[in-house]
Amino acid sequence: MKKTFKRTRLAALVVFAASGVAGAADEKPADNAAKPADAAPAAKPAPAPSRLPYGWLPLSASAPPQVSQKEWVRTPIDAFVLARIEAKGLKPSPDADRGAFIRRATLDAWGLIPTPEEVSAFVADTSPDAYEKLVDRLLASPHYGERQARRWLDLARYADSAGFQTDQTRANMWRYRDYVINAFNEDKPYSRFVQEQIAGDELVPGNQDVLVATGFLVGYPDNYNSRDLVQRKFQITTDITDTVGQAILGTTVGCARCHDHKTDKFTQKDYYSLQAFFANTSENFKNPAAKGQVEREYDRQWAKWEEASKDLRDKQAALIAPIKEAALKHHKERYLTDSREAIFKPESEWTPKDRWINHRLENVSTDADLEVYLRVTGEDKDFPDYSAENVERWEQYKKIKDGLKKLDKLKPASGSNTFTAATELGHPDAPPSFILAGGNHEKPLDEVQPAFPAALTDAKPIITPTTVSSGRRTALANWLVSPENPLTARVYVNRVWNEYFGKGIVSTVSDFGKAGDKPTNPELLDYLASNFIKNGWSVKSLHRDILLSSVYRQSSSHRDDVQAADPENKLLAVFPRKRLDAEEIRDALLVASGKLNDKIGGPSVFPPVPSNLNAGPLWEVSKDPADHNRRSLYIFTRRSVPYPLLASFDMASAQQVHSKRDVTTTPLQALTLFNSDIVFSWSQALAGRVISEAGNDESSQIDRLYQILFARNPDESEKAILKSFLVDHEKTITEKATDGKLSVAIPVGLKDTHSLDPIRAAVFVDLVHVVVNSNDFTYRF
Amino acid sequence: MSKASRRELLFKSIYGVGGLTLAAYMPGGGVFATPALAESLADPLAPKQPHFPPKVKSVIWLHMDGAPSTLDLYDYKPDLIKLAGQEAPPSFLNGIKTSTQGGVGKLFASNRTWKRYGQSGAWFSDLLPNLAQHADKINFIKSSTTIGATHDISILKLNTGDTSPGRPSLGAWVHYALGSANPDLPAYVVLYSGKKEPSGGSVNWSSGFLPAVYQGTAFRPGPSPILHLDRPELIALKEQRDDLDLLKSLNEHSASVHPEDSELQARLRSYELAYKMEATAPEAVDLSKESDATKALYGLDNEATKEYGTTLLRARRLVERNVRFIQVVSGAVELPGNEIAVNWDAHEHLESNHGAHARIVDQPIAGLLTDLKERGLLDTTLVVWTSEFGRTSYGQSGNGRDHNPWGYTQWLAGGGVKAGTTFGETDEIGLQSVGRKVDTYDLHATVLQLLGLDHLKTIYLRAGRSERPTVVYGEVIKELLA
Repeated sequence: MKKTFKRTRLAALVVFAASGVAGAADEKPADNAAKPADAAPAAKPAPAPSRLPYGWLPLSASAPPQVSQKEWVRTPIDAFVLARIEAKGLKPSPDADRGAFIRRATLDAWGLIPTPEEVSAFVADTSPDAYEKLVDRLLASPHYGERQARRWLDLARYADSAGFQTDQTRANMWRYRDYVINAFNEDKPYSRFVQEQIAGDELVPGNQDVLVATGFLVGYPDNYNSRDLVQRKFQITTDITDTVGQAILGTTVGCARCHDHKTDKFTQKDYYSLQAFFANTSENFKNPAAKGQVEREYDRQWAKWEEASKDLRDKQAALIAPIKEAALKHHKERYLTDSREAIFKPESEWTPKDRWINHRLENVSTDADLEVYLRVTGEDKDFPDYSAENVERWEQYKKIKDGLKKLDKLKPASGSNTFTAATELGHPDAPPSFILAGGNHEKPLDEVQPAFPAALTDAKPIITPTTVSSGRRTALANWLVSPENPLTARVYVNRVWNEYFGKGIVSTVSDFGKAGDKPTNPELLDYLASNFIKNGWSVKSLHRDILLSSVYRQSSSHRDDVQAADPENKLLAVFPRKRLDAEEIRDALLVASGKLNDKIGGPSVFPPVPSNLNAGPLWEVSKDPADHNRRSLYIFTRRSVPYPLLASFDMASAQQVHSKRDVTTTPLQALTLFNSDIVFSWSQALAGRVISEAGNDESSQIDRLYQILFARNPDESEKAILKSFLVDHEKTITEKATDGKLSVAIPVGLKDTHSLDPIRAAVFVDLVHVVVNSNDFTYRF
Repeated sequence: MSKASRRELLFKSIYGVGGLTLAAYMPGGGVFATPALAESLADPLAPKQPHFPPKVKSVIWLHMDGAPSTLDLYDYKPDLIKLAGQEAPPSFLNGIKTSTQGGVGKLFASNRTWKRYGQSGAWFSDLLPNLAQHADKINFIKSSTTIGATHDISILKLNTGDTSPGRPSLGAWVHYALGSANPDLPAYVVLYSGKKEPSGGSVNWSSGFLPAVYQGTAFRPGPSPILHLDRPELIALKEQRDDLDLLKSLNEHSASVHPEDSELQARLRSYELAYKMEATAPEAVDLSKESDATKALYGLDNEATKEYGTTLLRARRLVERNVRFIQVVSGAVELPGNEIAVNWDAHEHLESNHGAHARIVDQPIAGLLTDLKERGLLDTTLVVWTSEFGRTSYGQSGNGRDHNPWGYTQWLAGGGVKAGTTFGETDEIGLQSVGRKVDTYDLHATVLQLLGLDHLKTIYLRAGRSERPTVVYGEVIKELLA
């Protein structure tokens, strides 16, 4: 920041700048940056493979290794894992019992817990393909797509709002979320899934189903209020590039924004050449959507508002008309010097960059911007354009505005009749891209062209512009999933492995560079990646292979020998237990309490929040109570107001690529699950469900509760603990009930409440609430 | 009482309070700071050693939201007053990108009187008569600079060091680097004035790419500061104790199958900590035991200053309880002629805006400094008066000022700070800093230094990159240190 970068000394300076920063030192000075900018790609010899970061080496296709315990090997995956277990002198763990397995598999595939009926059917299924039938049933359900979508949305920094201070609602981003759900449910090849998200608008122009995929690119956090549109363009392009780099390539390209990458041979030139693929990318969030039920309902409601408000709006427009030009000018003057240059230029003189800026201006401008002028000139005597006429206009305008506000309730509360997609605004010519000194967009150095990282690949982009687009993103998308690129498949299969086993084969799931961790089992990773490509990038096949492996079927019970030989469980001789994700905790509670509304897709919803959250208009609870019990995936992602229950349990941050869920254990989580009125109400509903299903026998009730929550019966000591609680706690509740100050909470949802002993019933509610709070519920074993 | 009649009685009372249809309030809030630890994070909140002996234990970060015009508070410019009404000489505008909205250009002076205070002779305008009495405790930074033309990105930069969201806030870095000094309270607390949370707020106390345990916990106004601190309406205290004992038995039983599992053990402990916090957190913000004199010191006896004063008195109580970082965001106020409440953002009507906001903060901040001093806490506490940027020397809308990221005043007071001095200056009209400028990165580096942390060694490894609080910038401003 304090240094002045000069073009001629770039190479020396970037190395110097890098070495001034604490942390890992640069391995080698970046030789690329020293070369003249234009000459590098063609002249560069093929990099020696051994110098490439691991992830870029060609996929090796080694045969599954020989193992002694052959009968344990159900899939090639097992051979790769077992060979290493045996090399340590260990044996794998026995299969988990069927109850534990179906709970585990249902949580992993769906993010939900199985019903007791599903559990008992599976436990009782003696056919040889019982596991295959279970896994195929899980993968065929739309809940599979919901669960996998949530994981992808973490990477896409998905949100339903723009972020920053005003954090406006993006009322149609849910279409991108639904695209992702559908892609997983249809088993869209991952290669195609990537291509559509990067370049859907170029690949299949005019097809809404594909266009919405580019919501991946344009879902960036955005500051609609920005007065520096040149800076905004740079920041947006940066976000897109870094998102693609991390989510798909598992590479922290963003490091090279300010300086050559210190550990990977990724130069600033490589970085800005990658940015250049997105130089012409804009967004359109007002594309008219095809008419389905949501859209028709939206239109119908909107028409009601339009009709009711027509008179007022006409009057408003008439008031603005005489000052419209001055108001528009006033609004445009708020932008900074270089933005204004583009904004006040006649359209005939627009460069591609001016085009981007003016489109941006139009996208974020609203009638309220014109109103500002009327207000200051009608209210503020010191303002240069203050006039008596505008005083009068403003008075009238305010009255109309109040009238219009009263009609706001007629507007559709959710949904949309539009969709958001990337666009190049109908032009194939892109603004130039530059290497930027220190990542400062006001300090351009050499111009760069779209290119793949020169140190990593010899492949050159083949860019074919269309009449309406630069074709750059298509070239990038094709390369991402091409045979020359071994990284895309490796990164994705590793992410899936990470979700099942809590740790990737490369544990730094978004960094396959030299600073990332080495793969614990490179042959396995390459087998998974090669097989993934061989199976036509079928994500379901990948899941099926893992779900049906012996590795996945193992028990999670503690073993002293494994603990001693492999304390971090890198070999996977024991199945790793895992804390449920935030969404799984909430969704499983909804299933258990019988309250889940399992509708798939559609506009996002606002379930209730604690009254002291103080989020104001940013969180207006959905009117329809059915919306309160939708799966967590459908809860509105407001960037500045994370949904409290989920936020407590380490939900994804929607600001940047979220690579991996943290697992933290805090008193706030305890407060949340124990004290939240809504969680408590679910416990009441669960208690009611248990009594309905198990009858009045307390022993059967406890069995049923455990079957619902844990897919098993309680063991003897658990039962003894719980039974003695029923006896002891009755005294406490009785004391409380008779002091006249407090009521008791009883089970809800029962048809016949009159046969209940309320004291005993309240004791049972407390028991249920405690069991819901126990470790056995919050973990899957 | 027979079972049947008991049932009848209870059912009446249950329906009477709506026991069957509980209001559907939801859980959550910021994750906070106590040492119940996930195995994967080792012991993330245990107290950690700083790099060198710290000067202060706690930071109170007073963010003046909306950006006050420090030209009208501290940065006395006789030339600006002389030139008021004239176009700004072009030489003063060199190198900056400006807006032209609202007749930008003519220099503007507000109706202030200026005086020097204390032995240091620091200038204060008539807007801050109480704070002026503390001139000799204060270290002014009059050459503050930042980037950004809108509040959101500059507030982000002020708190996280970047104009795009995603980086950890300064408080989160402190929390990460030093851990917690009190397991019964969050170590990083956010306090705000006003009816609602500052818009877009949480990103400014986010843990960014650090684990979520390090994020700030927003304390809510009122007696119950943390979400879900209160038991469900129908659960009595004794009842909950029974419930927790049962939970303990069940968790201990299942933990016996996983004897090695520290994460499960941590979860068991977290419930006991939570139970304790149900009492400690409300106590920490309960002002009923504060004397009338103390309350008056913070302006609690005055309608204008009551809300902000309450916030600052809470801040002092948190300092006493070893909370590491307390971020206080000033509120908005309803002014005549404005439809909605406004913060310090005086694009117009600077006179009434700053008159109101200065009145709101002047007595409480002065009271905080007095109180900290009298209790012997000022030496171990750092008070930072800060904002996202300042305001321009030229006017806007005839009676307001636009945003100014090029030159404005912030100040420090407390332990390790060179009290009663001024560092840096702006040009003759107060528009741009001249000489050594102090960017947000430098401010962060200096605050960390006072906490005993070298900003270059405060490192978190993220996806292969060594991240630090000051990104790739920042220098400790040695001249600010005693």
